Amino acid sequence: MPTTLRIALLAGLLALLSNLAVIGFIYGRTHDEAVASLHRQVTEQSKVLTDVYRSGGKKALDEAIDDTLAYADPQTAVALIGPDGRQLQGNLAETPSLEPMQEGYRSAVIRLRGQPSPHQAEIVLSRLPKENWLVSGRLVGADLAFRATLERSLLLALLVAGLLGLLCGVILAHYVAQRIGNIAAVANRISARDLSQRVPLSGAGDSFDRLGMQINAMLDRISMLMEELRLLTDSLAHDLRSPASRLHAAAHAAAEASDPAEQEELLASVVRNADVLIRILSTILEISRSEALTGRKQFAWFDVGELAAELTEMYDPVADEREVVLRLDKTERPAPLFGHRQLLAQALSNLVENALRYGAGGGEIDIRLRRTDKQIEIEVADRGPGIPPERRAEALRRFGRLDSSRSDEGAGLGLALAQSIAHLHEGELVLEDNRPGLLTRLRLPVDAAQAPR
Amino acid sequence: MGRKILLVEDDRETASYLAKGLGQEGHSVEQATNGQDGLFRATDGTFDLVILDRMLPVLDGISVLRALRAANIETPVLILSALASVGDRIEGLECGSDDYLVKPFSFAELLARVNALLRRRESRVGPADHRLTVGDLEIDPLSRSVKRAGKKLDLKPREYLLLEYFARNEGRVVTRTMLLEQVWDYHFDPGTNVIDVHVSRLRRKLDEGFEKPLLHTVRGAGYMLAA
Repeated sequence: MPTTLRIALLAGLLALLSNLAVIGFIYGRTHDEAVASLHRQVTEQSKVLTDVYRSGGKKALDEAIDDTLAYADPQTAVALIGPDGRQLQGNLAETPSLEPMQEGYRSAVIRLRGQPSPHQAEIVLSRLPKENWLVSGRLVGADLAFRATLERSLLLALLVAGLLGLLCGVILAHYVAQRIGNIAAVANRISARDLSQRVPLSGAGDSFDRLGMQINAMLDRISMLMEELRLLTDSLAHDLRSPASRLHAAAHAAAEASDPAEQEELLASVVRNADVLIRILSTILEISRSEALTGRKQFAWFDVGELAAELTEMYDPVADEREVVLRLDKTERPAPLFGHRQLLAQALSNLVENALRYGAGGGEIDIRLRRTDKQIEIEVADRGPGIPPERRAEALRRFGRLDSSRSDEGAGLGLALAQSIAHLHEGELVLEDNRPGLLTRLRLPVDAAQAPR
Repeated sequence: MGRKILLVEDDRETASYLAKGLGQEGHSVEQATNGQDGLFRATDGTFDLVILDRMLPVLDGISVLRALRAANIETPVLILSALASVGDRIEGLECGSDDYLVKPFSFAELLARVNALLRRRESRVGPADHRLTVGDLEIDPLSRSVKRAGKKLDLKPREYLLLEYFARNEGRVVTRTMLLEQVWDYHFDPGTNVIDVHVSRLRRKLDEGFEKPLLHTVRGAGYMLAA
C-alpha cells in the first residue's frame, strides 16, 4: 500500500474515531436526558392526582382526571382502576394487564381510547384506598421521536466526518509526499552522480526545511571531503611518483652494475628511496587516523609546558648545529591539558622541524607557550622567508608543499598533520606573519574547571 | 648463542625472509601462519621470544597476546603491524607486548629489537641499580655518575639516559627509533636527524681524547656501544 494512501486512511480513521467519541457522548447524554424527563413528567402527574384524591376524595379525582385529559397532550394516559380490575375512569381503550399490582414506575404496553394499536408507555401505579389503583403515564414513541431524528442526524454527521477526515488525509498526505518527494528527487539526482544538487527550501523554516538544510549541510561536507580526497590522491600520486621511479631506476641499475662499490651505493639509494615512500605513506595513515578520532581513547591529563620544554631540549642541539638560537618562553605555572600527549608531541615537533627546515636562515626560533582559563596556545615563530597570506591555506593542506621542486621527503605533510592533531583536540592551527618569518600557532581549548589540582 | 623464537606471520614471503635472517643469526625459528596455531604453540611456554603479526587469520595478534598474558605466560612478545598510528602502537604495548614494530621495517631494525628483548630477559635477573661497565667506562645508575678511565665525564641528564640505555644494550645494535622510544618516550618518526645529533654530542664527550672509541655507528642500522 502506498504511503500516501496509508496516511490518508489513517487521518480518516482518526477523524472517524474522534467523531464517534463525541457523538457517542451526545447520544448518551440525550438518551439519559429524555428518559429522565419522561420519568419526571409521569411521576409528577401521578403525584398531583394522588394528592387531589387525598384532599378531595373520589369525586375530585374524577374531575381532575377529566381536566387532565381535556388539556394534556394526546400522549398522556390516565386511568382509575377499581378493585375488580376494571377501568372506572380514564382514557385507556382496554384495561391493561398490570399484574403484579405493585406501586412504582414501570414500562407497559397500553392502548389509548381512539387509537388503533397499543404503544409502549412509561407509567406509574399508585395505590389508592379501597383497592383502587391510579395509572398515570405517557406513551413513549412520540415523545422520543425527536431523539430518533437526533440519532439519524448524528449518524449522518459521523458519515460526513469520516469522509471529511479521509479528504483531509488525502490533502495532508499529498502535501507531505510533495515535500518529501522534492528531497527524494534531489537524492535521486545525487545518486546519479550529480553532487552539486541541493534540496530546495520553502523558506517556511518548518521541519521539512530543517531536514532539507541538514541534508544540504551534509552534502556540502561530502563535496568538500571529496574535493579534498581528489586533491590528496592527485598530489599523493605526484609525490609518490618521484621516489618510486628513483627506486625503480636504482634497483635496475644495481642489478646491472658489475662494480661492487657502485652496486652498494645503488642499493643504498634503493633503501633510501624505499624509506621515503614508507615515510610518506605512514604519515598519511597517521593523518587519516587522527582525523578519524581514533586517538581519543588515549587522552589523559598532562602538562603542555613540560612537553614544550622537553621538545625544546630535544631540538636544541639540532638548532645549534644549524646555527639557530632556539628559545622557549613559558610561564612557571603548569599548563594542564586533557589530550593525546604523543600526538601533540608529534604536532609540536612538526612545527619545530618545519621552522628548522624553512626558517633556519633567520637565525632564531622562538617557542612560546601561553595559557588562559579557556585555552593553551603554543607558538613556533621563525625569522625565515615566511609564507604569504594567500598561500597559507595551501600550506595547511596535505601535500600543500609550496615549493614543489623540493625533493625533501614528506615535508608537505608536517603542517597538515599538526592541523589534524589540533582538530582532534577541538583546536586549530593558525599560520601568521611573524614580520618577518612564519608564526605557527596551535590553539587548544581547555576545560579548566576539570583540570586536576 | 641461539635462542628459540616463535614467528607467527601469515604472509609467507615475509615469514620466510624473517625466518631465514633470524636463522642466520643463530636462532632457531618455528613458524605459525594463523593466530590459533600461534597461540597453541606459544602456550607451550618454551620460547624465548614470540614475534607476532597483528593481523592474522582465525585469531588476531592482540587476542593471541591477551590470551597468552591471561594464561600467565610471560614470554617477551614483539608485535609486527602495518597499523602505523601512535594510538595503535600504544594499544599494542598496553595489551602486554614488549615491543612494537611497524611494517614495513628493515631487517636490521627487527634484529636490533629482537636482541634487545632477548637481552632484557637475561638482565631481568640482575638488580636494576647494578654498576655498569663497558671497557674502561663505568656507570653508576644510583648517583648517575659516569667515569671513563677513572676520569669523570660531565653529561647532561638526557645524555646520561642515552648512555645508560646504550650500556644496558652493550654489544647490541640500537636503532634510532629504539632510542627515540626508550630514551625520549616518543613514538613518532622525526623528520630531521635529531637522534644523530644527540648521539654525536654524546660521542664527543665519551670518546674525544681517548684512543679507542666506544660508541660505534653501524651502517644502515644504528649505533652500538662496545669496548
